[in-house]
Amino acid sequence: MQAAQAKKIVASPFLLFEDWMTVGVGLCGQVGIVIAKTFYYILRMQIDWQESLRQAYFIGVKSFLVVGITSLFTGLAMSLQIVMQLVQFGGESAIGGVVSLALIRQIGPITAAIIVAGRVGSSIAAELTTMNISEQIDALKVMRIDPVKFLVVPRFIGAMAMMPVLSIYSMAIGLLAGMIIAQVVADVSFGVFLDSVKSTIIDQDFYVHFLKSAINAAIVIFYSCAIGLNTRGGAEDVGHAVTRAVVWSMTVMFIVNYVVTDLTYEGPR
Amino acid sequence: MISVRNLRKSFNGREVLKDVSFDVWPGEMLALIGPSGCGKSTTLKLITGLLEPDDGEIVLNSKEIGLVFQGSALLNSLTVRENLALALRERKLPKREQDRIIMEDLTLVGLADYVDSFPTQLSGGQQKRTSFARAIVNDPKIVLYDEPTTGLDPVMSTIIEDYMIELENQLHAAGIVVTHQFSTWTRTAHRAILMHDGVIVWEGKPDDAMRSSNPYIVQFAKATKDGPMLTGTI
Repeated sequence: MQAAQAKKIVASPFLLFEDWMTVGVGLCGQVGIVIAKTFYYILRMQIDWQESLRQAYFIGVKSFLVVGITSLFTGLAMSLQIVMQLVQFGGESAIGGVVSLALIRQIGPITAAIIVAGRVGSSIAAELTTMNISEQIDALKVMRIDPVKFLVVPRFIGAMAMMPVLSIYSMAIGLLAGMIIAQVVADVSFGVFLDSVKSTIIDQDFYVHFLKSAINAAIVIFYSCAIGLNTRGGAEDVGHAVTRAVVWSMTVMFIVNYVVTDLTYEGPR
Repeated sequence: MISVRNLRKSFNGREVLKDVSFDVWPGEMLALIGPSGCGKSTTLKLITGLLEPDDGEIVLNSKEIGLVFQGSALLNSLTVRENLALALRERKLPKREQDRIIMEDLTLVGLADYVDSFPTQLSGGQQKRTSFARAIVNDPKIVLYDEPTTGLDPVMSTIIEDYMIELENQLHAAGIVVTHQFSTWTRTAHRAILMHDGVIVWEGKPDDAMRSSNPYIVQFAKATKDGPMLTGTI
């Protein structure tokens, strides 16, 4: 299959683009069906709360350590860059505001979402594809149980409950990293840093933060589930499904992240 | 009762089923036999509704269908009890009644001691028996078996065949078994249909297969290379 794809690239990149578009349009249709069915069951309150709680634990609690570590180092690197630039222009008092604004509106939600896409999205795609290949999904259908109701709804509820928590946690760790860097590199006290944060951040920033977290959670769950539920074949296809789930989730997430940022940007402060 | 009329199905332009018709009566077990790729499993998936036919009609006298999958298809994240409870959840029974039915069915297949085990903790034969218990938990009027003895050792195959015969006697359901295991279709079925290349090429009682002059069933039953079914050399 890879050889055929390589031949295609040589023959015409347009053919490959056409393939990619066909797959993309097909996937959008599958995601659309999963979204419609999920909200149908949620609106009718047909929710398995026990399974949703189990999924929330898996998606949220089990991601805490890795989100903490990545947020700490992302926060340290980003703060170092910002602090060194602002110090050159004598803008030490603005460090807290700039760091917190970047964290709350961009870095916090996206860092948590990338980790969830990599850890949870890949796991969901692998699990559902394996269930499909081993006829477990067919078994559910024969028992007249909709796989979306049984498998997608609890994962969606779990992710929606935990993603904002992970985002806030990611933001808090990043902010802590910023405070440490500001103190060590620019001798900015914690008090000055936090004053700058308070004077810069407004309620709207938190709304954007939660909006982005919720959208990111939905993208990861819907794309991973749609890919998992619609992939058949063998062991190789499980690998392909995992790759597709992570790549598509992240691509769509970054595009939507830009659109939300553009729509909610209210001008310079 | 299962009534299949003029069934047709294609995949990617290749016609897998070409005008297949048959009936299965309550209390009867029909064996769908034939070489790999002849359309047996596709027919079963069309009957269960997992696939839509391109043309033709399937009439079932009951919505309650029990299906034993080739690979058991138990949900690995659930215990044996939860797997069976899942099949019962449409009926919204009280917990005590649900547990009674589950234990009764597991006792029937000799797995009452494994009620709280996960499928991955069971052997292949035990998983297959759990799949049996799940298929019959709602007392279905239609029971379908997709290659129930494939991959099992001869002793376990005989045990599974015995379960099939016993269940048939108890449920009095219309049954279809898809298989290419000689002992399975000759022991469990009242009638057999041999499929080749998407069409029915022989129909009769398993006992008549060896005596038939039909070249397809002679080749299939005697498992010889010579005949109309397979061409080519290694």
